[in-house]
Amino acid sequence: MIYLDNAATTAPDAEAVKAAMRFLGEEFYNPSALYRGSFEVHRKLEGARRALLSHIADAAKFGLVFTSCGSEADNQAIFSGARRGNFVTTEGEHAAVYRAAEELSRRGVEVRFAKLDRCGRVDTEDLLRLVDGQTSLVSVIHVNNETGAVNDVAAIAAAVKKKSPRALFHSDGVQAFGKIPFRLTADIDFYAVSAHKIGGVRGVGGLFYRKGAPLHPLIFGGGQEGGLRSGTENTFGIFQFEEAAKRKFAALSEDFARASRCRRILEEGLDKDLFAVLSPEDGSPYILSVSARGLRGEVLLHMLDDNGVLVGTGSACSSKNRYSRVILACGADEATADGVLRLSLSKATTEEECREAAAVVTRCARELRERMR
Amino acid sequence: MEKNKVVIVRYCEIHLKGKNRGYFERVFMNNMEKALHGIRHEIRRPSGRYLVENFDESRTDEIVERLRRVFGTHTLSVGYKVPAEMGAIWDAVLAVAPQSGTFKVQSNRADKHFPLHSMQLNAEVGGRLLAERPQLRVDVHAPQNTVNIDIREDGEALVFCDLVKGAGGMPVGTSGKGLLLLSGGIDSPVAGHMIAKRGMTISGLHFHSYPYTNMQAREKVEDLARILARYTGGLELYVVRVTHIQEAIHKHCPEEMMVTLLRRFMMRIAEHQAEACGAQCIITGESLGQVASQTIEGMTSSNAVVRTMPVLRPLVGFDKTEIVARAREIGTFETSILPYEDCCTVFLPKHPLIRPDLRKVELAESHLDIDALLEEAYASLETVSIR
Repeated sequence: MIYLDNAATTAPDAEAVKAAMRFLGEEFYNPSALYRGSFEVHRKLEGARRALLSHIADAAKFGLVFTSCGSEADNQAIFSGARRGNFVTTEGEHAAVYRAAEELSRRGVEVRFAKLDRCGRVDTEDLLRLVDGQTSLVSVIHVNNETGAVNDVAAIAAAVKKKSPRALFHSDGVQAFGKIPFRLTADIDFYAVSAHKIGGVRGVGGLFYRKGAPLHPLIFGGGQEGGLRSGTENTFGIFQFEEAAKRKFAALSEDFARASRCRRILEEGLDKDLFAVLSPEDGSPYILSVSARGLRGEVLLHMLDDNGVLVGTGSACSSKNRYSRVILACGADEATADGVLRLSLSKATTEEECREAAAVVTRCARELRERMR
Repeated sequence: MEKNKVVIVRYCEIHLKGKNRGYFERVFMNNMEKALHGIRHEIRRPSGRYLVENFDESRTDEIVERLRRVFGTHTLSVGYKVPAEMGAIWDAVLAVAPQSGTFKVQSNRADKHFPLHSMQLNAEVGGRLLAERPQLRVDVHAPQNTVNIDIREDGEALVFCDLVKGAGGMPVGTSGKGLLLLSGGIDSPVAGHMIAKRGMTISGLHFHSYPYTNMQAREKVEDLARILARYTGGLELYVVRVTHIQEAIHKHCPEEMMVTLLRRFMMRIAEHQAEACGAQCIITGESLGQVASQTIEGMTSSNAVVRTMPVLRPLVGFDKTEIVARAREIGTFETSILPYEDCCTVFLPKHPLIRPDLRKVELAESHLDIDALLEEAYASLETVSIR
């Protein structure tokens, strides 16, 4: 079995799971309790927070709230930041931002969407044109989860602040964190991440925030996370995330180079007559999005599944929402959008797997074209 | 004072069934037992109705909900069984009677030893209720609520007020067996429900076209079967793969005949499977003129391959809005509209044939190795027991 759907989720880092197991065992305590053992867990939790912060931010200037997932982190940033005026975002956002924007619109905040280029990068000029003195929040995805296109969020944030100093800036960094070399700058107010895209377990996400940025809780209760996110902390998940991130960041540039080689092998192994590449050359090396124009991506996905290759697709085999909103926003026609396959890698993906997968993908697409002819 | 909660179930047409009555009643009883599986209870049958008792009172609503779906149920009431003496009866009346609105008391005295006549009992209880609850008014002609008191011969009395409407129809299992073509759309579950309501045992047959259809679409059909099973007391769902049939039609036959020809294959497979599982008919959710394949010519074309049994189309004269209303009522609508592709839409032609000519259809089909395609489809059969 070759797993090429790592943008959906990665296998949990087994070493990290092992290291965190003590928080399901002898150190199961609630970190908010007052006895020695629980206080120790609390101290370790704060240590994990500092360690995660240090990977991409200056801990003196940024804080980190643990959430249950990347979507929650995005929602918290958006509903904290966009309370008035208008909210400017892009047509290339993950549903966690896009659907939150729709909800904002229902609540009376004007929502503006900036256009994308053919690869899924935001058109910065268009974005800046939409920003004005009434803009309360701008949100730009860091790495597009469907095409892998990378937005230079530091530069975009600086340009936004220059045009409208009062505007806050958020970025969904779920597909970037631990994969793309990056550090938070003073222009970025919020940055959402998720554990399970880099070997963490599902159920943990985080929102980095610039100290001083207005952040409000979505969940009220016992006042955990400095009152910003109530609910007893998922200590096992958080420590496992910290451990997985530590290992991922330590090998970031090495993994980046290997993923780049793997992606090239995949790309070169696919039949050019059958597949058009949608991902940009300089995008994230972990995502290769292609379209088998005229074939249906999901049908191909099932055939690949039967042949031991697991991939993602840009479209769902349903009459509603059949085409990916993001792929269409890149200017693709429906036949292209219908045939999208997303091959996504992790640090565990090997070159040999990519060679084999490319051959299987090509073979299945040829067979399907023959069957549909 | 001892006061046991009971559910009283009255049945529909079973009393019409002369000498078979015992059989119908037994099946009905069994179906009720099945519906209450997992809930502690006892069912007794004192004259002319069923009494469910000795259950956990906190689950009363669930018991009523499950029993009202059992076909054959006319009405149900939740009430109390108490010793046939004034104090206990009054206590139960207070528990079931409304707080306001209009009411009357209706007594029935099978045990003539009870000291008050029915009329006296009505007047006595009604008078006390009026004094106790000043917002109540008596209306003997069209009351909003009727407080019923049944004095039985065994020294006990039943006191109840509200009537809940049951599903009606005949007990499932008393009218043979049918095989329902279950697509995942809105119509077929409704068709199955209607036929099951007349007492027929139902099995389901679903066609999939993996890899052109996905597992979510199949799961949706299983979910629909599960909803139907609440009425029918479980059902067998057969799943058959028609991928290669669709591909063969696509390759060898005129594009516009895809649906017409596929329907004929489905009917052949249905008849084969019906015979195999002991079903005596095929049931479809077709409604005249609803889509291109459901014209009279389309039905003629698919009907022509069924040799040995009737095809029941209970929705044939229904409008879509009527079908949707029924789907909502039986609880299948929300599941039916989930947006997964069913196998009919995969190779859907742009302009399907609306009035297929049987001879031309047969001619087009002659390009296919029908027997081999059918054998392959039969071999793909999977059975899912839905409980």
